Amino acid sequence: MNMRRYGRVFREFFRACLVEEMEYRSEFFGNFIASFFGVGIALLTVHIFFYQTDRLGGWTYGEVLVLLGVFNTLRGFIDFALRPNMPRLLEHVRRGTLDYILTKPVDSMFYVSFRHLVFWRLIDVALGLGVIGYGLYVERYVPSAADVLMFFVVMTASLLLIYSLWMMLMTTSFWVVRIDDLSFIFDSFFDTARFPGSMYRGAVRFVITYVLPAVLITNTPALALLGKWSMAAVLAALAVAMLFLWASRRFWRFALRFYTGAGG
Amino acid sequence: MIRKYIALLRMKYIEMLAYRLATFVWMTGAITQPLITMFVWMNIHPEESDSFVFYFMAVIFVERMTSAWDVWELDREIREGTFSNLLLRPLHPIHWAIAENIVYKWLFAVILAPVWLVGAVFWPPLRPHMTAGQAVLFLAAVVLGAALRFLLSYSCGLLAFWVTKVAAVYGVIDVISLFLSGRIAPLEMLPPALREWSEWLPFRYMISFPIEIATGAVDGGELARGFAVAAGWMAVFVAGVQWLWKAGMRKNQAVGG
Repeated sequence: MNMRRYGRVFREFFRACLVEEMEYRSEFFGNFIASFFGVGIALLTVHIFFYQTDRLGGWTYGEVLVLLGVFNTLRGFIDFALRPNMPRLLEHVRRGTLDYILTKPVDSMFYVSFRHLVFWRLIDVALGLGVIGYGLYVERYVPSAADVLMFFVVMTASLLLIYSLWMMLMTTSFWVVRIDDLSFIFDSFFDTARFPGSMYRGAVRFVITYVLPAVLITNTPALALLGKWSMAAVLAALAVAMLFLWASRRFWRFALRFYTGAGG
Repeated sequence: MIRKYIALLRMKYIEMLAYRLATFVWMTGAITQPLITMFVWMNIHPEESDSFVFYFMAVIFVERMTSAWDVWELDREIREGTFSNLLLRPLHPIHWAIAENIVYKWLFAVILAPVWLVGAVFWPPLRPHMTAGQAVLFLAAVVLGAALRFLLSYSCGLLAFWVTKVAAVYGVIDVISLFLSGRIAPLEMLPPALREWSEWLPFRYMISFPIEIATGAVDGGELARGFAVAAGWMAVFVAGVQWLWKAGMRKNQAVGG
C-alpha cells in the first residue's frame, strides 16, 4: 500500500468533511457544552465511588482519573473517525451502492472506515488529555521522557486495536442488515474499559482481558504514563494489535467475496 | 373505555411483534452499565457482594419496567408533523402511548421474571426475602415509578411544541436521575447532601424505592413518607401534562392555522 498516497486521500476526506461541517457552525457551541457536561458527569461518578473508598481495584483516585482521561481520549477518536461511518456502510450494503466504492481506485476498507469524519468530537480528545493532566497532578507524578514515549507507542497500539474490533463489527453488516446501528454492541463492551481491569472478577475479567482486550486498550496507556510500564507489556500490546488488524483485514476480504458472490 | 383499551392493546401488541428483533436488542441493550457499576461496588465493599448483586440485578429489572421512551417519539412526531394524524383520532393520543407502555412492559415482565426465577434457583444471592406484604408494596411502587417516569417523559416530549432540542433537555434530566435514582450507587452510599436531595426529588421513586422495599431497607414511617412524596410528584406531573397539553394545542393550531 502506498502510504503517501493514502495520506493524501485522508487529507482530502478531512477537507471535504470540514467544509461540510462548517455549514453547521451554530451547533458547535451546543456540542461543546455537551462534551463538557459528559466529562463532568464521569468525574462526578468517580468522585462518588471514591467517597466510599481510597482504592479501586488497587488504583488510587489520581490513577483512575488518568485512566478515565485515556478512555475519554480514545472514545473521542472513535466518535471522530469511526462512528460516523457505521450506519453509512449498512446503507451501502442494503442498497447495493457499495459497488461504486469497490470500483474506486482506493482500498475499500480504508474508504468505508474513514470517508466521514465528525470534527467537533475532537473536543472529547482534548478534554480527555485535560483529564489525564489533572489526574497526574492529583497523583503528583511527573512522567519521564521514557514514560511519555511508551505512552504514545501503546496509545497507537490501542487505536489500531479499536480500529480492528470496530471494523470486524462493521463487517458483520454484510449479514446483519436488519439492525440500524450496531455500534451499541461496541459501546457496551468498551464501557468496561472505563475502570481498572483488576476490579473485575471471574469470567468477566478473563473475557475482557484476553478474549476482547478492552482492559488492554485503556489500562496499558494509563499505566505507561504513570511510569508502571514494562517492555514485555508494550510488546504484547503491539503484537495483539497487529494480530487483530490482520484478522479484521482477512474478515473484510472474506465478506467482500461473499458480497460480490451474492451480487453477481 | 375498557373496550377501547382492549382494542388499543391488541393493536400495539401486533405492532410490537413486527419489530421483534429490534425489541429484543433494545431490551438487552441497557444491561452493561448496571453490571459494571455492580463490579465497582463489589470491589469497594467485598464483604457485601451478595447484596450488591441483588441490588443491581433488581436495578436492571426495575429500570426496564419503568423505562420511558415517549419523549423521543413525541419529539419526532411533533417535529415531522405526523402528530397531527394522532390528533384526528377520536381518542386522546396519551392513551395510545399508555397502551404501548403496558404492552412492552408486560412483555419485559413475562420474559424477565422467569429468567430471575431460574437464576435464583442456581444463584443464592438472587433469592428475595420478602413477605407477601412487601411483595405487594414492591409491585405498587414499580407501577407508581413507571407512571412517574412515563409522565415526566411525556411532558418533556410535549415541550417539542416550543423547543427543537427536547432530546437534549431530557438528556440532562436523565443524567441527574442517573445519580439520584440509584443507578450509579445505592442511595445509602451517596454523600449525605445528595442523599437528602434524592428523597425529595422524584427520581428515587422511579428505580431505587421499589428495590429498597424489596430488600427491607425502608419500612414503617419512612415507607409511608416515600409513598406520600411519590404521590405528590404524581399529582404535579399529571397537572403538568394537562397544562402543557392545553398550551401546546393552542401553540400547534397557531402555527398550523
